[in-house]
Amino acid sequence: MTPFLSVLTSVVAWVAAMLTVASLAVVGPARLRAARTGVRARLWDARRAVAVLCAVLLASALGRSWLLDVSRLFGLQATALIYALEGGFVAWVQATFAGPALTAYFSWVYVYGYAFLLAFPVVAYLALPRTVTFRRVLVAYALNYGIGLALYTLIFAHGPRNVMPEMVTPLLFANQPDVMALTSEVNVNSNVFPSLHTSLAVTVGTFAVLTREEYPRWTPVGVTLSLSVVVATMYLGIHWLTDVIAGFALAFGSVYLAHRFVEPRGEGLSPGDDAGERPGSGTGADD
Amino acid sequence: MTRPISRRAALAGLGLAAASAGCLGRTENIAGRDPPSQLTLEINTTPADADPNGIRIARQLEEHLTAVGVDVRLNTVGQTDLWRKVLINQNFDLYVGQFVETEPFDADALYGLTHSKFVAESGWQNPYGLTEIAVDDALERQRRVSGDDRTDVVGSLQETLCELQPFSVVAFPDALTAVREHRFEGWTEDSRPLSVTGLLELDAVADGSDDGGSGSDGSETNDSGTGGSTDGNASTEDAAGGDDGTLRLVTTDDRITENWNPIAAEYRKYGTFTGLLYDPLVRADGDAVVPWLAADWERVDDDVLEVSLRDARWHDGEPVTATDVAFTYRFLRDTSLGSVETSVPTPRFRGRSSLVDDERVLDESTVRLTVPDVNETVAARALQVPILPKHVWSERTGAATIAGFELDFETTEAVVSNNPDPVGSGPLRFVEAESGESVVFERNPDHFLVRPADSEETTDPRAGVPSRYRGKPAFDRLRIEVLPSDISAVESVSDGLADATVSNLGPASVPLIGRSADARLVSGRSAAFYHVGYNVRRSPLSNPRFRSVVARLIDKSALVDDAFDGYARAAASPLAASPNAVPDSVAWDGDTDPVHPFFDDEGSLDVEAAKAALRDIGYRFDDEGRLLSRGQ
Repeated sequence: MTPFLSVLTSVVAWVAAMLTVASLAVVGPARLRAARTGVRARLWDARRAVAVLCAVLLASALGRSWLLDVSRLFGLQATALIYALEGGFVAWVQATFAGPALTAYFSWVYVYGYAFLLAFPVVAYLALPRTVTFRRVLVAYALNYGIGLALYTLIFAHGPRNVMPEMVTPLLFANQPDVMALTSEVNVNSNVFPSLHTSLAVTVGTFAVLTREEYPRWTPVGVTLSLSVVVATMYLGIHWLTDVIAGFALAFGSVYLAHRFVEPRGEGLSPGDDAGERPGSGTGADD
Repeated sequence: MTRPISRRAALAGLGLAAASAGCLGRTENIAGRDPPSQLTLEINTTPADADPNGIRIARQLEEHLTAVGVDVRLNTVGQTDLWRKVLINQNFDLYVGQFVETEPFDADALYGLTHSKFVAESGWQNPYGLTEIAVDDALERQRRVSGDDRTDVVGSLQETLCELQPFSVVAFPDALTAVREHRFEGWTEDSRPLSVTGLLELDAVADGSDDGGSGSDGSETNDSGTGGSTDGNASTEDAAGGDDGTLRLVTTDDRITENWNPIAAEYRKYGTFTGLLYDPLVRADGDAVVPWLAADWERVDDDVLEVSLRDARWHDGEPVTATDVAFTYRFLRDTSLGSVETSVPTPRFRGRSSLVDDERVLDESTVRLTVPDVNETVAARALQVPILPKHVWSERTGAATIAGFELDFETTEAVVSNNPDPVGSGPLRFVEAESGESVVFERNPDHFLVRPADSEETTDPRAGVPSRYRGKPAFDRLRIEVLPSDISAVESVSDGLADATVSNLGPASVPLIGRSADARLVSGRSAAFYHVGYNVRRSPLSNPRFRSVVARLIDKSALVDDAFDGYARAAASPLAASPNAVPDSVAWDGDTDPVHPFFDDEGSLDVEAAKAALRDIGYRFDDEGRLLSRGQ
């Protein structure tokens, strides 16, 4: 098996295992059973959000190499700017904290934890009787990818491990070279601003806080994991602090816009008013 | 940037006050002057994924320039973009890069690199914009004289170039390569695994071919012990594609998967693979020159070389004729062949093609080249350009257009074409490519190296070719795959997915190769020296005294020790890899540069000494230690 396939297989296995455990622990067997009957209706209810996300992912998959060419030729060459702005911050992070245990943890988080972090909200929010949070998460994902792709095209920059190889070790790739086969399929080394790992993780973390009353067990796990992903992007030498800050901005912007675009609706699956749909305000009563 | 503006705004306010007070003249005298601002320089190079060495040279220079008060911008761009920026658009201050020759080269290579006659051209000819009569004279003279006279001229040329520093030679790297020898052998230091001749000298491992595909894969599984999965895949591949005779190389450089144009400067590194697609008339082979596409050549008189061609065919079946050779030289001088108003010379091979003034076809297989007034060594260099088929390239002489629009009247289709489906006459033919992923070549069964001697032929088709190239290449197909970094390239060789790496490996991959049971490190001395190039057209880099201070900021010994981990040799002259070319005055003496010694303060930069040197040549600093410049 090629490195790419073997890594992909292990990611799928890890995510599947974690999803199973988390679904049982966070959502609970009772709610999962109840949710089974309503899944098709909820997906139909959320069809537009699903379609938007699929469209963005498809456009990203098809247009990525073309957009990369545009970025190379016409994008703002920002490596020098970012580096001049923050200098050796990432090198300092590595020099101060790097150790075998942390490297193992952050490498795991960057690949496996991140994949789980993105997948779990889809399951968890689909299990809710009302689709508003589910739809908002999907739209927020789509906004992250869409805006992120536009920024990648506008701004051409390389990450710290490519600029300061003597100070910033590519810890992830040095320790798990196979992983590079996967990440290079998913991403390109000149796509660093903003950090999509950060923005998507923070998006999930924000939703975890907003839905703390529905899924109180998920909030600490989701937030911890999401912040770990944020730190991992710098600890592993992949992203600049600047990318991470931009990632936070993109995340909060996407969550805000998702709430603006996706309104709760009354014709949902269970009776209730708009107030009852606000995350964390009323639906927690279902427990 | 903001400082002068705010100061001006303040002065404008003052101006109003002053005008009302009636001393407008004095205020104008002050406000009308631009205050000096901090010197800003941009260093361009490729990211660590593409080349782990170049960026580390750039980082050291950045650190040292910053220490003496320069505002440095360290910019990383892709390899194509770096060369487009530097060689084509000449829009750079400094760059860190590698020279294009991997084999030791003759001093005449400096003709293209530094002669002022190329100052208005783009490409590898004088990208620095150096205009020095002394250099031009020496370059002309070394072409004419021979023997000891030439040695003297070449020596003083190096001294002049070292003094003027249009570029600072940093080090000659060892070309580090990870190889596994289960299927192909002959990777040696001497055969330079990254060169045309190095690849041609490889031999297939006898065991592998006897056992057949599955047998050799079985043994690989036992050897590697890294799990059957990788080898399982290899045997499936073998079964499916019959890939047993495929040489599999891995690189981080994706340019060869997109562009096969031998004259496109921004897409070529050493030109190794286009060198296998396109034959030159003669090929340098160590110190000797061996006939290649030319069966023979001789000097008819002082000015004329007569070249007779071998019986050869282009990959599309057309015969290679003297007309193609004559066309190639005319075309390299002007790729528009007169169809565009100004001539558009090729961005590569200009030093060589400028040697040939005229060409005359005598018959199908004989051509006379006018190469006036040059010695034997230089004359042989004139014959080392790739020969191009007229019937393909004569259609590319028009101005380059995008969707019918002519954007730049000084660009021809020939220069910008990716040359899809390249038609050469070389030992390899193009098969297929997936942009950014991989490219496949196959052995050309019609090439003179492998063609069985025809009973009708009176002469040996391989006459003059050293025996080690006969019957080569030893592989049926050559597959080059692009990987994201040198670490993953080494990994791929260790896992048995590839036979060798052909990208620039950093020293960090050496222990990685050591840990692998099957991969072996081959390090061959490369002539492709790392250097810092200066854009001499721009102030203050136009000042040779300023450049020599910058050169003294480069700690070459430390770079060789730290960045290259010892796998390089520091040098002052670009000819340091060429045997006997370097006079003592510019030879590296142990640990210091003979001409531009590093401002050394027990291993680190002596900032005060460097600043004093800058003051000595007329530069000033503000009270915060910033190096000031005017009108940058």
